[in-house]
Amino acid sequence: MTPATPSTRPALPGWLSRNLGPLGGLLALIAFPFVVAAQSGDSPVAVLTNESGNAKFYQGLFIEVFILAIYALSYDLVLGVTGLLSFGHALFFGMGAYATGILIKSFGWELGPTIVAVIGIGVTQALAVGVVLPRVKGVTFALVTLGMASVFHIVVQTHELSPWTGGDVGLQGLVPPAILNPNADRLRFYLVSLAVMVLAWLAYKRFVDSPTGRVCNAIRENEGRALMLGYNTFVFKLIALTIASVTAALAGSLHALYQPIVSPNVASLSFTVAALLMILMGGVGTLTGALFGALAYRLLAFFLDRWFGQIADVLLGVVYIALVLFVPYGIVGTWRRRRGRGA
Amino acid sequence: MRTLLDDFSKNRVLWITLGILSALLLLATQSMQLDDWLLTVLRGVAMGAVIFLAAAGLSLIFGLMDVLNLAHGTLFMIGAYVGWSAYVRPDTIVDLTTPILLLTAGFLALPGLQALIDHWTLPPTVARVWPWLAAVAALALAAGVLPQYPISMWDAGVYEQSPVVWGLALEQGTLVPPEPAAFGGLHPIAAVTALLAVGGLGALAIAGWRTQPSEARVPLSAWALAGSVALAGIGLLVVNDALTAWLFSLDTTWRFGFAIVVAVVVGMALGGLMESTLIRSTYSRPIYQLMLTLGLGVIGMQAVIAIWGRPQISMVKPTLFNGTGDGCPARSLGDWLTNQCATIILFDARVRVYNELFIIAIGLLVLVAISLVLGRSRLGMIIRAGVQDRAMVEALGINVQRVFTLVFAVGTGLAALGGVLSGPSTGLTEGMGESLLLLALIALAIGGLTSFPGAAAGAVLVGLLQQFMVKYGQIGIPLPFLEEPFKPTPPLVPASTVLLMVVILLVLPQGLFGRKE
Amino acid sequence: MSAPDIHLALEDVQTFIGQYQILSGVSVSAPRCSITALLGRNGAGKTTTLKTIMGLTPPRRGNVRLDGQELNGRRSYEIAALGIGFVPDYRGIFRDLTVAENLQIAERRQGDFKRKSELIFDLFPDLRRLIGLRGQQLSGGQQQMLAIARALVPENKLLLIDEPSEGLAPVIIEHLIVAIRALARETTVVLVEQNFIVARQLAERYVIIESGRSVQTGAMADLANDRDAVQRYLGAA
Repeated sequence: MTPATPSTRPALPGWLSRNLGPLGGLLALIAFPFVVAAQSGDSPVAVLTNESGNAKFYQGLFIEVFILAIYALSYDLVLGVTGLLSFGHALFFGMGAYATGILIKSFGWELGPTIVAVIGIGVTQALAVGVVLPRVKGVTFALVTLGMASVFHIVVQTHELSPWTGGDVGLQGLVPPAILNPNADRLRFYLVSLAVMVLAWLAYKRFVDSPTGRVCNAIRENEGRALMLGYNTFVFKLIALTIASVTAALAGSLHALYQPIVSPNVASLSFTVAALLMILMGGVGTLTGALFGALAYRLLAFFLDRWFGQIADVLLGVVYIALVLFVPYGIVGTWRRRRGRGA
Repeated sequence: MRTLLDDFSKNRVLWITLGILSALLLLATQSMQLDDWLLTVLRGVAMGAVIFLAAAGLSLIFGLMDVLNLAHGTLFMIGAYVGWSAYVRPDTIVDLTTPILLLTAGFLALPGLQALIDHWTLPPTVARVWPWLAAVAALALAAGVLPQYPISMWDAGVYEQSPVVWGLALEQGTLVPPEPAAFGGLHPIAAVTALLAVGGLGALAIAGWRTQPSEARVPLSAWALAGSVALAGIGLLVVNDALTAWLFSLDTTWRFGFAIVVAVVVGMALGGLMESTLIRSTYSRPIYQLMLTLGLGVIGMQAVIAIWGRPQISMVKPTLFNGTGDGCPARSLGDWLTNQCATIILFDARVRVYNELFIIAIGLLVLVAISLVLGRSRLGMIIRAGVQDRAMVEALGINVQRVFTLVFAVGTGLAALGGVLSGPSTGLTEGMGESLLLLALIALAIGGLTSFPGAAAGAVLVGLLQQFMVKYGQIGIPLPFLEEPFKPTPPLVPASTVLLMVVILLVLPQGLFGRKE
Repeated sequence: MSAPDIHLALEDVQTFIGQYQILSGVSVSAPRCSITALLGRNGAGKTTTLKTIMGLTPPRRGNVRLDGQELNGRRSYEIAALGIGFVPDYRGIFRDLTVAENLQIAERRQGDFKRKSELIFDLFPDLRRLIGLRGQQLSGGQQQMLAIARALVPENKLLLIDEPSEGLAPVIIEHLIVAIRALARETTVVLVEQNFIVARQLAERYVIIESGRSVQTGAMADLANDRDAVQRYLGAA
């Protein structure tokens, strides 16, 4: 923050000038589908009438970015803010995705009750995983969470459950409810997922600045000291885990509504690794970084796949390693450091 | 006696857990025939032996340097695939060794070159630019020479030349050694010189990028080492065709020995390289380090798939373990040796000698060897001390960094050994590294992360549990409240080990053999 | 060489741990075969000074010289191999190693321990009967003796001892004082000591460190009379 500049700027209300970046970003994202349409020579009206074309395609790509961003945000709360090394975060997302799919497809639930149920499941699974929190720490916690996630990953693929989960092919044939149908009205889905992402981001920002959030941060820095100051660190870790779990489950819900197939991969280790990569790219513990990281991750994967095909995975691996070695603070982290030094 | 009681009261939970486990194991005899039970136990222990080979390295590396090497599964996989190549296509390995040695020679000259350029006094701009020029020159030269260098190799993209077909050919005895690749437009002397220059220029570039000056004394031994490696490369080039022909003429038993040596050497070299170039720079950043090893694992796995292809490839058992003719299955060990049988009868069970006995034997051998080194040698003393307090070991005047590299290399070498050993028994698949890594991590967590005996115990437990679940999947578990026996489906097999881990860690957060911090 | 033969010299050493500056100007010069005590309050930077000499927390500015040879930029093990024995404040005994192994691991040449065993067991006779025990089975005093003994195994010319008397019974402290004074006939000793009475009996020279700076130095005999300095820098003595 540079407090000495307001006199040189045109007079904007303080609130507005402080939040210029996020607001600009939000407006740009709302305008984005129309800009793409105009760029590719279609009429912006086509966006409103849900015609297929570049605009619809890129909306789809960005819906994926938003969903990934919500998911990465929730992981940043666990790992970056609270310092819990979890390797099972995909479990939270996968649970949400599968629960949404099964409730709507096999049980014919409406969207509203489903969302409520997903939130309930989010809380429950966080409590279930949280049971181990007082007992295991560090790498052991990582292994336990990895284990729980892989049990889920394996169980959804079992033959016995395939009438509901679709086995190793994945859950398909989910008819999205008319109120939120990505195929019938893509723009609405685009705006809804954008709104969910923005709301999650705002809520997380508030949380981190709240007294509870500060304790979580203190736990990451030095759990022993937080304990000595009289905080029951278990409760705070559980709160962070529960918030993250509900958020990730909701991201999973959106994923299930948007994608034609919920693949078992969403519960795999590599999907947890994806979250790790996104917050690494964006900057661990910065929250905003999770959003940028998701954008960078999805676009990178998209273009590497388009340009290099087969060896895209190898290249993605090389990019990761270069990031780890040379840009350890990620996009937002590095930017803040630069600014911090300049000021 | 008193110490035994003391021991019991201290490790009560551990002993009770082990007691319950062995009781369960004995209970299993109720529901199956003795021969089935024995076979299942042997299979479980054999699987445990393979897991142990990977887990041993993981636990040593984690204990000593706090690195959870998530690339370990990939090194297991590389061991298997490189071993397969040495076994089925030794010509490729021989062809590749010369260029690798020549390139290495250049890089081994790095300390010598460093001392040389320390004497240079250049204008700053020149000093900043020339290393880049050297690097570009090295890359350009490599790009010009390497594609023309003759290497006779399979081609995963063409079915007739793919590893699948080569593997089958060896299995059916129809393998015809391919024509050795010949130098075409490229003269051998030019090729050798160019490769040496690539390595040297690369090393020169690295020396130029470094900012710190080296030690004052001129490292003569570095020059000598580089020179002898280069000479070895050239010598190998001279005897290339003869050596290839000899390797092809060997019995598969001996060639399997060759494959093991090649796999272990490659595994150790890769591990040493990994530690000394990449991992070393991240010791103070644990999360990034996990990312790094994960990324390396992914890259390695994709590279293996690109080189050897996706389909499963087979590796026929060496003749020593593959006989089916007269006198087989063998009734005794002597019988087996004379007839070289694939199976042997033990207590009415038909036991496969390679899968169920040889692998266990190697596992035991490694266990004993490592225990001896850890317990009796100075190196072992340093490792045991370093697990507790690295800084203090260093303050005693011991170069811990070198021990780190060595332990890392040995750990990855063991993983590669596990890979090449499991080739003949389970075949080579693209997913073998990943699934083994998960099992080894579970074994490690059960055993207590940094404990070496723990890694062994955890590995055997995981192996046993897996094989018993597989067995029960066939015959079913008679449960009192079910009419049909409960049959765990194949996906539940890995799930069961994960559950075991979660339960054990909830009861004993430090694992069975772990130490409370 | 000039008149006082300086074995170890620190010149305006500044050390950072992370972003925190711990030492902001420490100068020490220890003559050969003398005992120098680093004095000062808790957290003044005495332990960090020893660790800086060992290269465990390398200095960012200033330099450390051993026999005139600069140590900056050298790795810890290289510094130790120049003939420095280090006894950290937490003793640094390896739990899983036996007493014999704890001594053997310090060997720099094969057989160091055998050559020195007589000297070591003369100084610390107790160690002889503890030789088979593991590090974790020793008491605090026994660990302290073992830590000093370990520093004697190789041919060390300089010993850095952090808090030799901390947590020890008075009888053992007296024994230790005799032992360390005997060592100083052939070895330079630099030690950190909280207990001023012990330090006064042990050391010939002192350096007072206050908030990461060396503020006063001289002969121990003079400090004992300088009530003011003792009061100001060391609290009640």
